[in-house]
Amino acid sequence: MNNSLENRPDPDIKPASIKHDEGHVKRDRLKILSGIYGGVGKTYYMIHFALSERLKENIHVPGKSGILQYILAAAAVIITSAGCFGFTEYLGYQSISFILLFVVSILATFMGIGPILLASSLGAFIWNFFFIPPRFTIHIDKTEDILMFFMFFIIALVNGILTSRVRRQEKLTRDREERASALYQLTRELSAAAGITELIESAAKNIKKHFNTDSIFILQDGMNHLSEYCMGISSKLLSETEMSVAEWVFRHSRKAGKYTDTLPSGRLTFFPLTGSSIKPGVIALKLDAPVGADKEQFWDIFLTQISNSIERKFLDDLARKARFLDESDKLYKTLFNSISHELRIPVATIMGASDSLLSSEHSKEIRNELSSEIFQASKRLNRLIENLLNMSRLESGRITPRFDWHDIHDLINKAREDLREELRDFTTDIVIPDDMPLVRMDFGLMEEVLYNLVHNATQYAPPSTSIRIKAFYDNGMLNLEVMDRGPGFPKTDLPYVFNKFFRVEGSKPGGTGLGLSITKGFVEAHKGTISVENRKNGGSKFTIRIPSEIFRDDINQ
Amino acid sequence: MNISDSVLIIDDEVQIRRLLEITLSSNDFNTYFAADGKQGLIAAATHNPSLIILDLGLPDIDGQELLLKLREWFTKPVIVLSVRNSEEEIIKALDNGANDYLTKPFRSGELIARIRAAIRLSRESGDKPVIESGSLNIDMINHVVRKNGEILKLTSTEFTLLTLLAKNQGCVLTHQHILREIWGYGYLEQTQYLRVFIAQLRKKIEDNPSNPTLLITESGIGYRFGN
Repeated sequence: MNNSLENRPDPDIKPASIKHDEGHVKRDRLKILSGIYGGVGKTYYMIHFALSERLKENIHVPGKSGILQYILAAAAVIITSAGCFGFTEYLGYQSISFILLFVVSILATFMGIGPILLASSLGAFIWNFFFIPPRFTIHIDKTEDILMFFMFFIIALVNGILTSRVRRQEKLTRDREERASALYQLTRELSAAAGITELIESAAKNIKKHFNTDSIFILQDGMNHLSEYCMGISSKLLSETEMSVAEWVFRHSRKAGKYTDTLPSGRLTFFPLTGSSIKPGVIALKLDAPVGADKEQFWDIFLTQISNSIERKFLDDLARKARFLDESDKLYKTLFNSISHELRIPVATIMGASDSLLSSEHSKEIRNELSSEIFQASKRLNRLIENLLNMSRLESGRITPRFDWHDIHDLINKAREDLREELRDFTTDIVIPDDMPLVRMDFGLMEEVLYNLVHNATQYAPPSTSIRIKAFYDNGMLNLEVMDRGPGFPKTDLPYVFNKFFRVEGSKPGGTGLGLSITKGFVEAHKGTISVENRKNGGSKFTIRIPSEIFRDDINQ
Repeated sequence: MNISDSVLIIDDEVQIRRLLEITLSSNDFNTYFAADGKQGLIAAATHNPSLIILDLGLPDIDGQELLLKLREWFTKPVIVLSVRNSEEEIIKALDNGANDYLTKPFRSGELIARIRAAIRLSRESGDKPVIESGSLNIDMINHVVRKNGEILKLTSTEFTLLTLLAKNQGCVLTHQHILREIWGYGYLEQTQYLRVFIAQLRKKIEDNPSNPTLLITESGIGYRFGN
């Protein structure tokens, strides 16, 4: 299976590498989806259509085995006759005719009508020439012998016709079974397909298997016109003319192209994919011969199955998109509400305080207080901007940690320094073992992580309680714990603490619910984990575990 | 502090220029302004300021490029003041010849301290025989470091590292710069050695090694010797 296909589970992601030149405006609008099977360079399924061989089978054109049958039939008759020749006296020539007839009948049970005719003619001639008196002439005296002579032909014919009818019945039954099982397999594979890509892939595979032909899928874009549906393949798969045939087939829901009444020139035959409520698109086959009458019905069912499956996937996708839109709408509203509130409060503070400073004379004390308010509000604004930027970095998936050796003391000092004012009313309790090694991490990201956790603690724990930061290295993991004596989290909220925009109900104003989700994102960028629990005697405890190499000071100086 | 110290501010934001003007003049600096790179180069040549404060996001030329152009002839300190806060950008600016780097938003007090440190460093011609900071006294001539009057036992690498940072008191030195100066070009990526030595030094010279005031970490960038 082609890798470039498997790596694109979501067909809605258009590969950036597809470039459109101006001369192919039309093609630009067309989605081409091709099952790629067997190699990157191969853009469609190559199958040798088996129809011609099946036809040969039906009319019994002698092949190698055919000629063998004729020889076998003749040999059987000749050997039997030769065997009987010596016993003519004892058996009587009439009994010999029964023996020969018996042989012909036996042959008729497993040979085609041709060899049987040969065997019966030969049998009749031999019997006539060698056995019926007068022997060694073709003259027949008795009427019953003449009747017997013709009996050879009649019995042979009846036998042959009956046998081949039975055999045709058998073949039909076998074909029906084969088709039923083919359809069953198709249905099963189509319904098992995870995404539209996989679905197309298995449809194409099945078409190759049962119709021996390439298939190219051209699907609509959800807005009822065919448009590019490139899967890392060149859109040169179809020429512009072929694309317009595809468009025509899509619009009119009728087949066209090679071996049809409409636009028969060209190398492809186009069939519409028609679902029950939407038209998923068009399928193009590269047929070497028209689909035979016996196979047409089979093909129709095949096509219907594929159409329905694609339609179902389309509808699923639409439903999922609708749900997604709904979710992102909700997310947007939450973001808007919380952010606009978070933005307005500090801005209002800055405006109010500076306006007050400008408009009236204040004592030095009040001036300092107002300035301090402005400073605090700016810090809050800055924090919000920082968080929004971090969030968008995380959302865009552009976070790749820059690992370097760091002293965990530096990390904790930085957080303490940045939060000096917030931590003033708390006792900070730093616990780091003396032999703490250097660890590898992205300092900037971890700084953000620790800042958020400690900042949270200062926001929710009552003043003059203790905030404990503990770091240690254990079993390949850097462990970092932040503990406070705040209210902790309601038990039911614990699983949602790291969700974006999640805030404990009734928690004090200020905060967007972004901090902890960013923290989690950054920890996960280190392939680490973060968890939260409530402490026994009140408060919460955040635990971060990050896999890290270590470096101990064993250098020569 | 010399009254006539002048600072050229190259920044396209009017508000930042005004804020800097107020902050700097209230700290007895003369100020000149340029709103883009071209004007900045001309102003630097005409006024020959004691120090330049440079924004990286200029309308006509990227600040990093301007920094390289300035450094072709301008030998006095340049402090970069920018909203760009990625470690790469900061290290690049320092490599391009900036003496220090501050990200916006900044604290005025911090900025003034950095400006003073940079100007003082540029004034000091030659090596000072003795560098002092808090209770620490580094005697460069006799290779002796005293803390509260007591002689500290330092290895030669520790001493070299300490003096390298102390000579650039107040200014940040990048990891790469320090590694190159002390261990040589082959060790530019070996930041772990540096961190181990810094940790050892802190244990010897800091009052509280886990909350250092002399060897200050500039996260992801380098170290600064505190005033």
